[in-house]
Amino acid sequence: MSTTRLPAHPAQVIDHDKTVTFSFAGETITAQAGDTIASALYAAGTRIFSRSFKYHRPRGLLCAAGNCPNCLMNVDGTPSVRTCLQPVRQGMRVQPQNVWPSLKQDVLSIIDKFDWLLPVGFYYKTFIRPRFVWPLAEKFLRRAAGLGQINTQAKPKGGYDHQYRHTDVAVVGGGPAGLTAAHEAALQGSQVTLIDDQPELGGHLRFQTTTYDNIGEYNGLVGYELARTLRERVAAHPNIAVVSSATVFGGYEGGLLGVMQAKRLIHLRTKRLIIATGSHEFPAVFQNNDLPGVMLGSGVQRLLHLYGVKPGTRTVVISHDDSGLRLAAELLNAGVRVAAVVDSRFRLPKDSAPAKQLLDNGVEFLSSYSIQEARGKNRVDGALVVPLDAQRRPFPKASRFIPCDLICLSTDRAPAGALVAQSGGELGYDETLGKMIPQQLPPQIFCAGDVTGINHGPIVLRQGRLAGLQAAHSLQGSDTASHDSQIHTLQQELKLREQAYRRQFEPYPQLSHVWEKKKQFVCVCEDVSHKDLAQGVAEGFDEVETLKRYSTFSMGPCQGRMCATSSLRICAKYAGARLAAARTTTARPPIKPVPLGVLAGRNYQPEKHTPLHHRHIVLGAQMMLLSNWKRPYAYTTPAEEYRAVRERVGIIDVSTLGKLEVKGKDAAQLLDKVYTHTFSSLRVGRIRYGVMCDDSGIIVDDGTVSRLADDHFFLTTTTGNIEFVEQWLKWWTAGTDLCAHVTNVTGGLAAMNIAGPQARQVLSRITDVDLSSDAFPYMACIQTEVAGVSARLLRIGFVGETGWEVHVPAECGELVWDALLAAGQEFDIAPFGVEAQRILRLEKKHLIVGQDTDALSNPLEADLEWVVKFNKDDFIGKQALQAVQERGLRQKLVGFRLRDSGVAEGGQAVVLNGKPAGRVASARFSPSAGLCVGLAWVPIELANQAGPFQIRINGELAQADIVNEAFYDPQGERVRA
Amino acid sequence: MSFLIDCPNCGSRSVYEFRFGGEFRERPSGPVSQHDWAEYLHMRKNEAGEHKEWWYHLMGCRSWFFAIRDTRTNVVKETRIPSL
Repeated sequence: MSTTRLPAHPAQVIDHDKTVTFSFAGETITAQAGDTIASALYAAGTRIFSRSFKYHRPRGLLCAAGNCPNCLMNVDGTPSVRTCLQPVRQGMRVQPQNVWPSLKQDVLSIIDKFDWLLPVGFYYKTFIRPRFVWPLAEKFLRRAAGLGQINTQAKPKGGYDHQYRHTDVAVVGGGPAGLTAAHEAALQGSQVTLIDDQPELGGHLRFQTTTYDNIGEYNGLVGYELARTLRERVAAHPNIAVVSSATVFGGYEGGLLGVMQAKRLIHLRTKRLIIATGSHEFPAVFQNNDLPGVMLGSGVQRLLHLYGVKPGTRTVVISHDDSGLRLAAELLNAGVRVAAVVDSRFRLPKDSAPAKQLLDNGVEFLSSYSIQEARGKNRVDGALVVPLDAQRRPFPKASRFIPCDLICLSTDRAPAGALVAQSGGELGYDETLGKMIPQQLPPQIFCAGDVTGINHGPIVLRQGRLAGLQAAHSLQGSDTASHDSQIHTLQQELKLREQAYRRQFEPYPQLSHVWEKKKQFVCVCEDVSHKDLAQGVAEGFDEVETLKRYSTFSMGPCQGRMCATSSLRICAKYAGARLAAARTTTARPPIKPVPLGVLAGRNYQPEKHTPLHHRHIVLGAQMMLLSNWKRPYAYTTPAEEYRAVRERVGIIDVSTLGKLEVKGKDAAQLLDKVYTHTFSSLRVGRIRYGVMCDDSGIIVDDGTVSRLADDHFFLTTTTGNIEFVEQWLKWWTAGTDLCAHVTNVTGGLAAMNIAGPQARQVLSRITDVDLSSDAFPYMACIQTEVAGVSARLLRIGFVGETGWEVHVPAECGELVWDALLAAGQEFDIAPFGVEAQRILRLEKKHLIVGQDTDALSNPLEADLEWVVKFNKDDFIGKQALQAVQERGLRQKLVGFRLRDSGVAEGGQAVVLNGKPAGRVASARFSPSAGLCVGLAWVPIELANQAGPFQIRINGELAQADIVNEAFYDPQGERVRA
Repeated sequence: MSFLIDCPNCGSRSVYEFRFGGEFRERPSGPVSQHDWAEYLHMRKNEAGEHKEWWYHLMGCRSWFFAIRDTRTNVVKETRIPSL
């Protein structure tokens, strides 16, 4: 039963000479190039496209515009693809979803016969008792309901991307109103971005074959010619950027539009927004209105004119205005027999061109009629139409059956107003037009075209011009008289035309009673019928938002496009409320479905490399990621590297340390404020260890502070915490009279720590500075030259040996590193990694903020009371730490040594008398002690008694003893040597 | 959340360039009661309306400034560099 294609026509988008084949449910389908999957299937005779959500009723093509849920299929493994938008590709595999075994014979369609089991809100009132029923019922319901299935094995395909764009005026919608608005705004000098969801601009004009008059300069053009003219005009203007095949899925604050174009997410910022999103048709509510063969008029036009598909052989057109008559005339021209035009108006305008043509061809006109029922099994074989009385009520006794295979509904359009509401505008119900239309708009937003509720070419084009003028004009600031008068004239003209339009407008009457026999669908996505809504209101859900939640209308794939207006009317009717006061349900973003990949964008993970990174690679270091930095874990083995540092000399890349310069006459005052220690007393050329707390006394960072001059300090911070410390210092400076400037120089400096008994000999080979402990004692610093490079030398002892931190400009890092390795060759110098450093520092009981401390650790309990100077006037955290001191400590960070072999790990429980009492912070095997050593948080009583405790290691309890002094070189002789 | 903030140094930028620093609170100077200290540390006004807040231009000038923001609409009425 193949439907033949119509002859080629300029409005068509298909190529008659080129065919494409694809598979559908195992069958091979031949399509024309340019077809969508749905148009090709329809042309090949398919009429059932899907099965409905709840009742598994057969569903056919309805809107052919990507709005309704009826054509969702699985395409090449992707579920719920709108096949009426998806172009055909050679070899693609298309499968129906939610059916078994086939679209034509779906076993679960039996549910339709047992609908009394599934009344509205059934999941709130059935399957409750006996209790064992629910798990079984749930299993069945979950299988039966729902749409496509996600392939959980699928690999992300990638290719997603984000783009940021800015524009003066964004025009959403490339129909006649949008095209006119964009052109006008561009003419006025604005930069315009025009976004349209179709591959080609023109909106519904692309598939109109009506000749337009009364549109000024374009009089006499046929719809698709007008579309082409407007399109070319826009393309030729240099101020307009066109973004086609893109969906605006949300309007956000600050003039941001979320735009999806295939796999790209465009963040479009606009100063002015023109909403020309048009309207969409939705089905009238009558019996069996979901039967395949009932189609929206604009869907029929798309099939006819864009894809050259004859939609049926004998049709009934249901209409309420002249657009229905035009549709009937177009069907006639395409060789489709029009059995009748059923029009709800009292009188037909018999003098209009399409009406004349229809009468000349002997088409039957039924005025003051509407449709009561679509009849047929699995597809339409006739329409039952019913006359209306003077109150627009149906008179079923006089209904008539008209055989046909296609029912075209040209009954109602709803403005696509979601973006209006999201952008801060208000929608209200207009009783004359019977629609929710924009009523209040913020000053930067303008509407034009069908979205205003008026579907009339001459008005739409003028609205577009006016919106373009106003948007551009409002951007220019200074008002010019010529603009003002232009706008004023247009406004006056539009007002008169709109009044005239409203006078002759007659909305399609909603049938005023529930037909008991057959289902009348309001929401085709979720299978919600007129009766369901009436029942819902009767049960007390008499407000549209609660009714929505109870009945689930508008919650499906179309997000209310097919049902919002009808359900609002039905809700108001049964609740006895006035529609004018009604609110519509909230249309939140995304307006159209957006794949998560599009929102996620490109899949990448940033990582930072130190200036010495390539040296580590060449040395064959095992690299690891530590707070976004790539660092060497080890070059050889941690044990060997440990030995090198303790016995000879080692060198480690510490460029990842946060590095800050603090300069200014009040620099010392700032540091006294943010550190618990005192720095105003620090002599120039000396270093002091410092701890920072917040105002609740919690440790936020630690590091060294070197005083390079009276007004110049150099700070190092914990790796990965530099961003915070920089902000923290700047914050405590902001709004005060402190003269102190904080500069983050982390990336600008390469740093290495050379440590070990022979560090002095190595370093002295490439610097002239006297490195003897008399001239350069422990915790001293100097600005000097190393290997001919300006360098900052800091004598510190993090690893517990004689050692210097060498800070040099990043670009000289490799040079100095190479020089140190060369100078160290005869001492068998060894580069060491992070793991060796962890062992070395742990033996000295040096803590690491963020590893050994957490968001509840204060310096008093972390065994750092020696750095807290309560004698200072004030510092951040003083008040809280004083309170801690008064209250008494509750826990303490202590060093411990295991009695036997075995190695503890950070996070393991400290056990006291069989109960968990604390936790291990860090632990490592200490080569110098020959046992495992570590730091642990224990109750204060235990810390004071220095008693033994236990640690749960892999379920076994290990004995541990508290060690008060450092595990290695407790007197600190080696660091001072 | 996609509003714009007019950085006093850099001009109008997307909120994603900034770090929110919380509502402005006066830090008590000198010793205060534990109760008052806890008020300062933990209590926020969180008004539905105009709020004086700290913002930091992380991906720009890296400075702190004050913004007066309406918490109901996210409209930033005023921004300024904190003065003494």
